[in-house]
Amino acid sequence: MSDHIVKSFDSDLESLRSAIAEMGGIAEKQLGDAVTALVRRDAVLAQGVIKADLRLDALQREIEERAILTIARRQPLAIDLREIVSAIRISGDLERIGDMSKNCGKRVLAIADGFQAQKIVIGVQSISDLVMGQLKDVLDAYAGHDLDKAMDVWHRDEAIDALYTSLFRELLTYMMEDPRNISFCAHLLFVAKNVERIGDHTTNIAETIHYLVTGRALDTERPKDDRTTAPTIAA
Amino acid sequence: MSAALGQSVSLGRGTPANASAPAKVSVRDFDFYYGDFRALKSINMEFRERHVTALIGPSGCGKSTLLRCFNRIYSLYPEQRATGEIMLDGRNIIDPSVDVNELRSRVGMVFQKPTPFPMSIYDNVAFGMRLYERLSRADTDVRVEHALRKAALWDEVKDKLKNPGTGLSGGQQQRLCIARTVAQNPEVILFDEPTSALDPISTGKIEELLEQLRSEFTIAIVTHNMQQAARISQYTAFMYLGELVEFAPTDDIFMNPREKRTHDYVTGRFG
Repeated sequence: MSDHIVKSFDSDLESLRSAIAEMGGIAEKQLGDAVTALVRRDAVLAQGVIKADLRLDALQREIEERAILTIARRQPLAIDLREIVSAIRISGDLERIGDMSKNCGKRVLAIADGFQAQKIVIGVQSISDLVMGQLKDVLDAYAGHDLDKAMDVWHRDEAIDALYTSLFRELLTYMMEDPRNISFCAHLLFVAKNVERIGDHTTNIAETIHYLVTGRALDTERPKDDRTTAPTIAA
Repeated sequence: MSAALGQSVSLGRGTPANASAPAKVSVRDFDFYYGDFRALKSINMEFRERHVTALIGPSGCGKSTLLRCFNRIYSLYPEQRATGEIMLDGRNIIDPSVDVNELRSRVGMVFQKPTPFPMSIYDNVAFGMRLYERLSRADTDVRVEHALRKAALWDEVKDKLKNPGTGLSGGQQQRLCIARTVAQNPEVILFDEPTSALDPISTGKIEELLEQLRSEFTIAIVTHNMQQAARISQYTAFMYLGELVEFAPTDDIFMNPREKRTHDYVTGRFG
Protein backbone atom coordinates (compact mmCIF):
# COMPACT_ATOMS: atom_id res chain seq x y z
CA MET A 1 0.00 0.00 0.00
CA SER A 2 1.45 3.35 -0.99
CA ASP A 3 1.59 6.15 1.56
CA HIS A 4 -0.91 8.91 2.11
CA ILE A 5 -0.08 12.39 0.93
CA VAL A 6 -0.77 13.46 4.51
CA LYS A 7 1.96 11.55 6.34
CA SER A 8 0.38 11.86 9.77
CA PHE A 9 -2.60 9.83 8.47
CA ASP A 10 -0.19 6.93 7.93
CA SER A 11 1.09 7.23 11.47
CA ASP A 12 -2.51 7.36 12.81
CA LEU A 13 -3.24 4.04 11.11
CA GLU A 14 0.13 2.59 12.05
CA SER A 15 -0.46 3.33 15.71
CA LEU A 16 -3.79 1.50 15.55
CA ARG A 17 -2.14 -1.53 13.94
CA SER A 18 0.65 -1.65 16.46
CA ALA A 19 -1.79 -1.31 19.38
CA ILE A 20 -3.75 -4.28 17.96
CA ALA A 21 -0.49 -6.21 17.65
CA GLU A 22 0.29 -5.48 21.29
CA MET A 23 -3.20 -6.57 22.36
CA GLY A 24 -2.80 -9.75 20.31
CA GLY A 25 0.51 -10.55 22.00
CA ILE A 26 -0.98 -10.06 25.46
CA ALA A 27 -4.07 -12.12 24.63
CA GLU A 28 -1.95 -14.99 23.31
CA LYS A 29 0.23 -14.99 26.40
CA GLN A 30 -2.80 -14.79 28.70
CA LEU A 31 -4.42 -17.85 27.15
CA GLY A 32 -1.15 -19.81 27.14
CA ASP A 33 -0.45 -18.92 30.77
CA ALA A 34 -4.01 -19.69 31.88
CA VAL A 35 -3.79 -23.22 30.55
CA THR A 36 -0.27 -23.77 31.87
CA ALA A 37 -1.49 -22.56 35.26
CA LEU A 38 -4.33 -25.08 35.05
CA VAL A 39 -2.08 -27.98 34.11
CA ARG A 40 0.39 -27.14 36.89
CA ARG A 41 -2.17 -25.76 39.38
CA ASP A 42 0.08 -22.70 39.50
CA ALA A 43 -1.73 -20.01 41.51
CA VAL A 44 0.97 -17.38 40.94
CA LEU A 45 0.79 -17.76 37.17
CA ALA A 46 -3.03 -17.65 37.36
CA GLN A 47 -2.82 -14.37 39.29
CA GLY A 48 -0.58 -12.99 36.53
CA VAL A 49 -3.21 -13.90 33.91
CA ILE A 50 -5.86 -12.02 35.88
CA LYS A 51 -3.63 -8.95 36.23
CA ALA A 52 -2.64 -8.87 32.55
CA ASP A 53 -6.26 -8.21 31.64
CA LEU A 54 -6.00 -4.63 32.93
CA ARG A 55 -3.51 -3.72 30.22
CA LEU A 56 -5.70 -5.35 27.58
CA ASP A 57 -8.72 -3.32 28.69
CA ALA A 58 -6.70 -0.11 28.68
CA LEU A 59 -5.42 -0.82 25.18
CA GLN A 60 -8.90 -1.48 23.90
CA ARG A 61 -10.13 1.87 25.23
CA GLU A 62 -7.14 3.58 23.69
CA ILE A 63 -7.74 1.97 20.28
CA GLU A 64 -11.37 3.00 20.39
CA GLU A 65 -10.50 6.60 21.23
CA ARG A 66 -7.82 6.81 18.56
CA ALA A 67 -10.09 5.25 15.97
CA ILE A 68 -12.88 7.72 16.69
CA LEU A 69 -10.46 10.66 16.56
CA THR A 70 -9.01 9.43 13.29
CA ILE A 71 -12.47 9.18 11.73
CA ALA A 72 -13.30 12.69 12.95
CA ARG A 73 -9.99 14.11 11.76
CA ARG A 74 -9.54 12.40 8.37
CA GLN A 75 -13.01 11.34 7.17
CA PRO A 76 -11.43 8.12 5.85
CA LEU A 77 -12.83 6.24 2.86
CA ALA A 78 -12.48 2.77 1.30
CA ILE A 79 -9.62 0.68 2.78
CA ASP A 80 -8.76 3.36 5.35
CA LEU A 81 -12.27 3.37 6.76
CA ARG A 82 -12.33 -0.42 6.79
CA GLU A 83 -8.96 -0.48 8.52
CA ILE A 84 -10.27 1.72 11.32
CA VAL A 85 -13.59 -0.12 11.69
CA SER A 86 -11.65 -3.41 11.74
CA ALA A 87 -9.34 -2.13 14.47
CA ILE A 88 -12.37 -1.27 16.63
CA ARG A 89 -13.93 -4.70 16.06
CA ILE A 90 -10.77 -6.73 16.52
CA SER A 91 -9.80 -4.87 19.68
CA GLY A 92 -13.28 -5.75 21.00
CA ASP A 93 -12.73 -9.43 20.24
CA LEU A 94 -9.27 -9.41 21.80
CA GLU A 95 -10.64 -7.72 24.90
CA ARG A 96 -13.28 -10.45 25.25
CA ILE A 97 -10.59 -13.10 24.71
CA GLY A 98 -8.70 -11.51 27.61
CA ASP A 99 -11.81 -11.62 29.79
CA MET A 100 -12.23 -15.32 29.10
CA SER A 101 -8.61 -16.10 29.86
CA LYS A 102 -8.98 -14.10 33.06
CA ASN A 103 -12.01 -16.18 33.97
CA CYS A 104 -9.95 -19.33 33.36
CA GLY A 105 -7.31 -17.90 35.72
CA LYS A 106 -9.92 -17.34 38.43
CA ARG A 107 -11.18 -20.90 38.08
CA VAL A 108 -7.63 -22.25 38.37
CA LEU A 109 -7.43 -20.46 41.75
CA ALA A 110 -10.78 -21.97 42.76
CA ILE A 111 -9.76 -25.56 42.02
CA ALA A 112 -6.12 -25.33 43.07
CA ASP A 113 -6.56 -27.83 45.95
CA GLY A 114 -9.26 -30.01 44.43
CA PHE A 115 -9.53 -33.29 42.68
CA GLN A 116 -6.53 -34.18 40.50
CA ALA A 117 -7.84 -35.78 37.30
CA GLN A 118 -4.93 -34.86 35.09
CA LYS A 119 -6.38 -36.78 32.15
CA ILE A 120 -9.29 -34.37 31.67
CA VAL A 121 -7.06 -31.39 32.36
CA ILE A 122 -5.01 -32.59 29.40
CA GLY A 123 -8.24 -32.68 27.37
CA VAL A 124 -8.72 -28.95 28.08
CA GLN A 125 -5.10 -28.38 27.14
CA SER A 126 -5.54 -29.99 23.75
CA ILE A 127 -8.52 -27.77 22.95
CA SER A 128 -6.49 -24.81 24.03
CA ASP A 129 -3.55 -25.85 21.81
CA LEU A 130 -5.88 -25.72 18.82
CA VAL A 131 -7.30 -22.37 19.91
CA MET A 132 -3.80 -20.98 20.48
CA GLY A 133 -2.91 -21.98 16.92
CA GLN A 134 -6.06 -20.26 15.64
CA LEU A 135 -5.33 -17.10 17.59
CA LYS A 136 -1.76 -16.92 16.39
CA ASP A 137 -2.74 -17.53 12.77
CA VAL A 138 -5.57 -15.02 12.78
CA LEU A 139 -3.28 -12.35 14.24
CA ASP A 140 -0.71 -13.12 11.53
CA ALA A 141 -3.47 -12.95 8.92
CA TYR A 142 -4.46 -9.51 10.25
CA ALA A 143 -0.89 -8.23 10.22
CA GLY A 144 -0.37 -9.43 6.64
CA HIS A 145 -3.93 -8.72 5.35
CA ASP A 146 -3.85 -12.41 4.40
CA LEU A 147 -7.36 -13.45 3.36
CA ASP A 148 -6.50 -17.14 2.73
CA LYS A 149 -5.00 -17.55 6.15
CA ALA A 150 -8.01 -15.85 7.78
CA MET A 151 -10.43 -18.13 5.93
CA ASP A 152 -8.39 -21.14 6.98
CA VAL A 153 -8.88 -20.15 10.64
CA TRP A 154 -12.57 -19.63 9.99
CA HIS A 155 -12.98 -23.17 8.67
CA ARG A 156 -10.77 -24.81 11.27
CA ASP A 157 -12.95 -23.78 14.19
CA GLU A 158 -15.18 -26.77 13.51
CA ALA A 159 -12.50 -29.09 14.94
CA ILE A 160 -12.50 -27.13 18.20
CA ASP A 161 -16.26 -27.45 18.49
CA ALA A 162 -16.01 -31.20 17.97
CA LEU A 163 -13.30 -31.57 20.62
CA TYR A 164 -15.31 -29.46 23.05
CA THR A 165 -18.33 -31.73 22.53
CA SER A 166 -16.35 -34.86 23.37
CA LEU A 167 -14.76 -33.21 26.43
CA PHE A 168 -18.19 -32.14 27.62
CA ARG A 169 -19.36 -35.78 27.54
CA GLU A 170 -16.27 -36.96 29.33
CA LEU A 171 -16.79 -34.44 32.12
CA LEU A 172 -20.43 -35.52 32.49
CA THR A 173 -19.24 -39.12 32.94
CA TYR A 174 -16.82 -38.09 35.70
CA MET A 175 -19.54 -36.19 37.49
CA MET A 176 -21.93 -39.14 37.30
CA GLU A 177 -19.26 -41.53 38.57
CA ASP A 178 -18.63 -39.60 41.77
CA PRO A 179 -20.56 -36.53 42.96
CA ARG A 180 -17.39 -35.30 44.75
CA ASN A 181 -15.98 -34.53 41.28
CA ILE A 182 -18.85 -32.20 40.42
CA SER A 183 -17.37 -28.95 41.70
CA PHE A 184 -14.01 -29.53 40.03
CA CYS A 185 -15.57 -30.77 36.80
CA ALA A 186 -17.98 -27.84 36.67
CA HIS A 187 -15.06 -25.42 36.89
CA LEU A 188 -13.21 -27.35 34.20
CA LEU A 189 -16.30 -27.28 32.04
CA PHE A 190 -16.35 -23.49 32.29
CA VAL A 191 -12.65 -23.33 31.49
CA ALA A 192 -13.24 -25.49 28.41
CA LYS A 193 -16.22 -23.37 27.43
CA ASN A 194 -14.15 -20.20 27.80
CA VAL A 195 -11.43 -21.64 25.59
CA GLU A 196 -13.99 -22.72 23.03
CA ARG A 197 -15.50 -19.21 23.08
CA ILE A 198 -12.03 -17.78 22.46
CA GLY A 199 -12.00 -19.93 19.34
CA ASP A 200 -15.27 -18.31 18.28
CA HIS A 201 -13.71 -14.87 18.70
CA THR A 202 -10.84 -15.90 16.43
CA THR A 203 -13.42 -16.65 13.75
CA ASN A 204 -15.01 -13.23 14.38
CA ILE A 205 -11.59 -11.73 13.74
CA ALA A 206 -11.27 -13.84 10.59
CA GLU A 207 -14.61 -12.44 9.41
CA THR A 208 -13.40 -8.93 10.11
CA ILE A 209 -10.26 -9.61 8.06
CA HIS A 210 -12.50 -10.78 5.22
CA TYR A 211 -14.33 -7.45 5.38
CA LEU A 212 -11.07 -5.53 5.68
CA VAL A 213 -9.49 -7.13 2.63
CA THR A 214 -12.48 -7.56 0.31
CA GLY A 215 -14.81 -4.77 1.42
CA ARG A 216 -17.66 -7.24 1.75
CA ALA A 217 -19.13 -8.95 4.78
CA LEU A 218 -18.77 -12.72 4.94
CA ASP A 219 -22.40 -13.74 4.92
CA THR A 220 -22.39 -17.53 4.89
CA GLU A 221 -23.06 -19.54 8.03
CA ARG A 222 -19.95 -20.98 9.58
CA PRO A 223 -19.84 -24.82 9.92
CA LYS A 224 -20.38 -25.70 13.58
CA ASP A 225 -19.86 -28.96 15.42
CA ASP A 226 -20.78 -28.02 18.97
CA ARG A 227 -23.45 -30.59 19.89
CA THR A 228 -23.47 -29.89 23.62
CA THR A 229 -26.70 -27.94 23.32
CA ALA A 230 -28.45 -31.03 21.91
CA PRO A 231 -30.45 -32.93 24.58
CA THR A 232 -27.76 -35.50 25.43
CA ILE A 233 -27.98 -34.96 29.19
CA ALA A 234 -31.22 -36.90 29.44
CA ALA A 235 -29.50 -39.99 28.08
CA MET B 1 -35.23 10.23 5.17
CA SER B 2 -33.28 7.64 7.11
CA ALA B 3 -33.33 3.93 6.41
CA ALA B 4 -34.86 1.73 9.09
CA LEU B 5 -32.96 -1.36 10.17
CA GLY B 6 -33.37 -4.16 7.69
CA GLN B 7 -33.59 -1.81 4.72
CA SER B 8 -30.62 -1.52 2.42
CA VAL B 9 -28.33 1.35 3.28
CA SER B 10 -26.16 3.50 1.08
CA LEU B 11 -23.70 6.33 1.55
CA GLY B 12 -25.71 9.17 0.08
CA ARG B 13 -29.06 10.57 1.13
CA GLY B 14 -32.37 9.82 -0.45
CA THR B 15 -33.20 6.92 -2.70
CA PRO B 16 -30.12 4.97 -3.82
CA ALA B 17 -28.84 4.47 -7.35
CA ASN B 18 -31.37 2.82 -9.61
CA ALA B 19 -29.60 1.15 -12.53
CA SER B 20 -32.85 0.82 -14.45
CA ALA B 21 -33.53 4.58 -14.48
CA PRO B 22 -33.37 5.84 -18.08
CA ALA B 23 -30.20 7.60 -19.23
CA LYS B 24 -30.92 11.30 -19.70
CA VAL B 25 -27.50 12.03 -21.15
CA SER B 26 -25.30 9.40 -22.82
CA VAL B 27 -21.70 10.14 -23.68
CA ARG B 28 -20.32 7.90 -26.43
CA ASP B 29 -16.72 7.66 -27.63
CA PHE B 30 -16.34 11.29 -26.79
CA ASP B 31 -13.03 13.11 -27.39
CA PHE B 32 -12.32 16.75 -26.79
CA TYR B 33 -9.34 18.80 -27.95
CA TYR B 34 -8.02 22.20 -26.97
CA GLY B 35 -5.93 22.83 -30.08
CA ASP B 36 -3.67 19.78 -30.28
CA PHE B 37 -4.20 18.83 -26.67
CA ARG B 38 -6.53 15.89 -26.22
CA ALA B 39 -8.33 16.84 -23.01
CA LEU B 40 -10.88 14.02 -23.03
CA LYS B 41 -10.15 10.53 -24.29
CA SER B 42 -12.89 8.17 -25.46
CA ILE B 43 -15.36 8.92 -22.69
CA ASN B 44 -18.34 6.57 -22.42
CA MET B 45 -20.88 7.02 -19.64
CA GLU B 46 -24.52 7.70 -18.82
CA PHE B 47 -26.16 10.27 -16.62
CA ARG B 48 -29.34 8.74 -15.30
CA GLU B 49 -32.55 10.68 -15.09
CA ARG B 50 -33.26 12.18 -11.67
CA HIS B 51 -29.96 11.05 -10.28
CA VAL B 52 -27.00 13.06 -9.07
CA THR B 53 -23.81 12.02 -10.85
CA ALA B 54 -20.56 13.34 -9.39
CA LEU B 55 -17.39 13.86 -11.39
CA ILE B 56 -14.24 13.66 -9.30
CA GLY B 57 -10.54 13.71 -10.06
CA PRO B 58 -7.44 15.84 -9.59
CA SER B 59 -7.13 19.26 -11.21
CA GLY B 60 -6.72 19.05 -14.96
CA CYS B 61 -8.28 15.60 -15.26
CA GLY B 62 -10.99 16.85 -17.62
CA LYS B 63 -14.02 16.73 -15.34
CA SER B 64 -14.92 20.40 -15.82
CA THR B 65 -14.23 20.11 -19.54
CA LEU B 66 -16.68 17.21 -19.76
CA LEU B 67 -19.29 19.13 -17.79
CA ARG B 68 -18.89 22.11 -20.11
CA CYS B 69 -19.58 19.95 -23.15
CA PHE B 70 -23.12 19.23 -21.96
CA ASN B 71 -24.25 22.77 -22.74
CA ARG B 72 -21.50 23.46 -25.29
CA ILE B 73 -20.22 26.32 -23.25
CA TYR B 74 -16.80 25.23 -24.52
CA SER B 75 -17.65 26.88 -27.83
CA LEU B 76 -16.60 30.11 -26.11
CA TYR B 77 -12.99 28.89 -26.18
CA PRO B 78 -10.92 29.18 -29.34
CA GLU B 79 -9.55 26.20 -31.27
CA GLN B 80 -11.59 23.58 -29.47
CA ARG B 81 -12.91 20.50 -31.16
CA ALA B 82 -15.18 17.67 -30.06
CA THR B 83 -15.70 14.26 -31.63
CA GLY B 84 -18.07 11.49 -30.65
CA GLU B 85 -21.56 11.90 -29.27
CA ILE B 86 -23.33 13.39 -26.31
CA MET B 87 -26.92 12.26 -26.58
CA LEU B 88 -29.54 14.28 -24.72
CA ASP B 89 -32.82 12.38 -24.96
CA GLY B 90 -31.54 10.62 -28.05
CA ARG B 91 -30.23 13.71 -29.89
CA ASN B 92 -26.53 14.40 -30.35
CA ILE B 93 -26.04 17.87 -28.88
CA ILE B 94 -22.54 18.17 -30.32
CA ASP B 95 -24.09 18.37 -33.77
CA PRO B 96 -23.81 21.99 -34.99
CA SER B 97 -27.43 21.90 -36.11
CA VAL B 98 -28.51 21.85 -32.47
CA ASP B 99 -29.36 25.40 -31.44
CA VAL B 100 -27.04 26.34 -28.61
CA ASN B 101 -29.50 28.75 -26.99
CA GLU B 102 -32.21 26.13 -26.89
CA LEU B 103 -29.70 23.63 -25.55
CA ARG B 104 -28.68 25.96 -22.73
CA SER B 105 -32.28 26.52 -21.73
CA ARG B 106 -32.58 22.73 -21.32
CA VAL B 107 -29.20 22.30 -19.65
CA GLY B 108 -28.63 24.88 -16.93
CA MET B 109 -25.34 25.56 -15.23
CA VAL B 110 -24.18 26.84 -11.85
CA PHE B 111 -20.57 27.87 -11.41
CA GLN B 112 -18.03 27.81 -8.61
CA LYS B 113 -18.25 31.53 -7.88
CA PRO B 114 -21.75 32.93 -7.58
CA THR B 115 -22.46 35.06 -10.65
CA PRO B 116 -25.40 37.33 -9.82
CA PHE B 117 -26.10 39.94 -12.49
CA PRO B 118 -25.88 43.61 -11.41
CA MET B 119 -29.62 43.92 -11.04
CA SER B 120 -32.32 43.23 -8.46
CA ILE B 121 -32.92 39.81 -6.95
CA TYR B 122 -36.23 39.66 -8.82
CA ASP B 123 -34.68 40.57 -12.17
CA ASN B 124 -31.84 38.11 -11.68
CA VAL B 125 -34.36 35.28 -11.54
CA ALA B 126 -36.64 36.68 -14.25
CA PHE B 127 -33.73 37.42 -16.61
CA GLY B 128 -33.39 33.99 -18.16
CA MET B 129 -37.06 33.29 -18.65
CA ARG B 130 -37.61 36.71 -20.25
CA LEU B 131 -35.04 35.74 -22.88
CA TYR B 132 -37.06 32.78 -24.04
CA GLU B 133 -40.64 33.53 -23.14
CA ARG B 134 -43.06 36.44 -23.17
CA LEU B 135 -44.69 36.41 -19.79
CA SER B 136 -47.18 38.71 -18.14
CA ARG B 137 -46.11 40.49 -14.97
CA ALA B 138 -48.34 38.22 -12.88
CA ASP B 139 -46.97 35.06 -14.50
CA THR B 140 -43.44 36.30 -14.01
CA ASP B 141 -44.17 36.93 -10.31
CA VAL B 142 -45.40 33.38 -9.90
CA ARG B 143 -42.41 31.90 -11.71
CA VAL B 144 -39.91 34.01 -9.74
CA GLU B 145 -41.45 32.98 -6.43
CA HIS B 146 -41.56 29.33 -7.50
CA ALA B 147 -37.90 29.38 -8.52
CA LEU B 148 -36.81 31.13 -5.34
CA ARG B 149 -38.74 28.59 -3.28
CA LYS B 150 -37.14 25.74 -5.21
CA ALA B 151 -33.76 27.25 -4.46
CA ALA B 152 -34.66 27.50 -0.75
CA LEU B 153 -34.12 31.27 -0.85
CA TRP B 154 -37.65 32.66 -0.87
CA ASP B 155 -38.06 33.09 2.88
CA GLU B 156 -34.82 35.03 3.10
CA VAL B 157 -35.48 37.45 0.22
CA LYS B 158 -39.26 37.76 -0.18
CA ASP B 159 -39.28 41.19 1.49
CA LYS B 160 -36.38 42.61 -0.51
CA LEU B 161 -36.88 41.42 -4.06
CA LYS B 162 -36.00 44.88 -5.37
CA ASN B 163 -32.62 44.90 -3.62
CA PRO B 164 -29.55 44.20 -5.73
CA GLY B 165 -28.60 40.51 -6.01
CA THR B 166 -24.99 41.43 -5.33
CA GLY B 167 -25.98 42.54 -1.81
CA LEU B 168 -26.70 38.98 -0.72
CA SER B 169 -24.21 36.76 1.11
CA GLY B 170 -22.10 34.33 -0.93
CA GLY B 171 -24.30 31.37 -0.07
CA GLN B 172 -27.46 33.32 -0.85
CA GLN B 173 -25.95 34.52 -4.15
CA GLN B 174 -25.25 30.91 -5.10
CA ARG B 175 -28.82 29.92 -4.33
CA LEU B 176 -29.95 32.95 -6.37
CA CYS B 177 -27.98 31.55 -9.31
CA ILE B 178 -29.65 28.17 -8.77
CA ALA B 179 -33.05 29.94 -8.73
CA ARG B 180 -32.12 31.68 -12.00
CA THR B 181 -31.27 28.32 -13.55
CA VAL B 182 -34.37 26.57 -12.17
CA ALA B 183 -36.63 29.41 -13.40
CA GLN B 184 -36.02 28.33 -16.99
CA ASN B 185 -37.38 24.84 -16.33
CA PRO B 186 -34.27 23.03 -17.49
CA GLU B 187 -34.04 19.24 -17.62
CA VAL B 188 -30.42 18.91 -16.65
CA ILE B 189 -28.48 21.10 -14.21
CA LEU B 190 -24.69 21.18 -14.24
CA PHE B 191 -22.88 22.24 -11.09
CA ASP B 192 -19.22 23.13 -11.39
CA GLU B 193 -17.85 23.06 -7.84
CA PRO B 194 -20.88 24.95 -6.54
CA THR B 195 -19.79 25.06 -2.90
CA SER B 196 -16.03 25.44 -3.04
CA ALA B 197 -16.29 29.19 -2.42
CA LEU B 198 -18.86 28.83 0.36
CA ASP B 199 -18.78 28.46 4.16
CA PRO B 200 -19.92 25.14 5.71
CA ILE B 201 -23.44 26.36 6.57
CA SER B 202 -24.09 27.60 3.05
CA THR B 203 -22.52 24.40 1.70
CA GLY B 204 -24.93 22.37 3.83
CA LYS B 205 -27.90 24.33 2.45
CA ILE B 206 -26.80 23.76 -1.14
CA GLU B 207 -26.33 20.03 -0.49
CA GLU B 208 -29.78 19.87 1.06
CA LEU B 209 -31.13 21.67 -1.99
CA LEU B 210 -29.46 19.26 -4.42
CA GLU B 211 -31.33 16.37 -2.87
CA GLN B 212 -34.64 18.18 -3.42
CA LEU B 213 -33.76 19.27 -6.97
CA ARG B 214 -32.98 15.68 -7.81
CA SER B 215 -36.69 14.80 -7.73
CA GLU B 216 -37.19 16.96 -10.84
CA PHE B 217 -33.85 17.33 -12.59
CA THR B 218 -30.93 15.27 -13.76
CA ILE B 219 -27.87 16.62 -12.01
CA ALA B 220 -24.18 16.46 -12.84
CA ILE B 221 -21.75 17.94 -10.36
CA VAL B 222 -18.02 18.48 -10.35
CA THR B 223 -16.61 18.56 -6.84
CA HIS B 224 -13.22 18.42 -5.22
CA ASN B 225 -14.75 17.43 -1.92
CA MET B 226 -14.98 13.65 -1.91
CA GLN B 227 -17.09 13.47 1.22
CA GLN B 228 -19.53 15.79 -0.52
CA ALA B 229 -19.64 13.54 -3.58
CA ALA B 230 -20.24 10.58 -1.28
CA ARG B 231 -23.10 12.36 0.50
CA ILE B 232 -25.00 13.79 -2.43
CA SER B 233 -24.51 11.58 -5.48
CA GLN B 234 -25.81 8.18 -6.52
CA TYR B 235 -23.22 7.66 -9.26
CA THR B 236 -19.62 8.79 -9.30
CA ALA B 237 -17.11 9.00 -12.12
CA PHE B 238 -13.41 9.18 -11.34
CA MET B 239 -11.39 10.84 -14.10
CA TYR B 240 -7.66 11.11 -14.52
CA LEU B 241 -5.62 12.71 -17.31
CA GLY B 242 -8.62 12.97 -19.60
CA GLU B 243 -9.70 9.36 -19.10
CA LEU B 244 -12.72 7.96 -17.34
CA VAL B 245 -10.98 5.57 -14.97
CA GLU B 246 -13.99 4.22 -13.09
CA PHE B 247 -17.70 4.93 -13.22
CA ALA B 248 -19.91 3.14 -10.73
CA PRO B 249 -22.53 3.60 -8.02
CA THR B 250 -21.17 6.07 -5.45
CA ASP B 251 -21.03 3.42 -2.71
CA ASP B 252 -18.68 1.29 -4.78
CA ILE B 253 -16.37 4.19 -5.66
CA PHE B 254 -15.95 5.33 -2.07
CA MET B 255 -16.18 2.07 -0.15
CA ASN B 256 -14.77 -0.52 -2.51
CA PRO B 257 -13.33 0.88 -5.73
CA ARG B 258 -12.17 -1.63 -8.34
CA GLU B 259 -9.37 0.39 -9.90
CA LYS B 260 -6.17 1.05 -8.00
CA ARG B 261 -6.01 4.65 -9.24
CA THR B 262 -9.52 5.31 -7.92
CA HIS B 263 -8.59 3.71 -4.65
CA ASP B 264 -5.43 5.78 -4.30
CA TYR B 265 -7.30 8.97 -5.12
CA VAL B 266 -10.26 8.53 -2.77
CA THR B 267 -8.00 7.54 0.11
CA GLY B 268 -5.62 10.44 -0.41
CA ARG B 269 -2.66 8.38 -1.62
CA PHE B 270 -2.35 9.88 -5.05
CA GLY B 271 1.07 10.66 -6.42
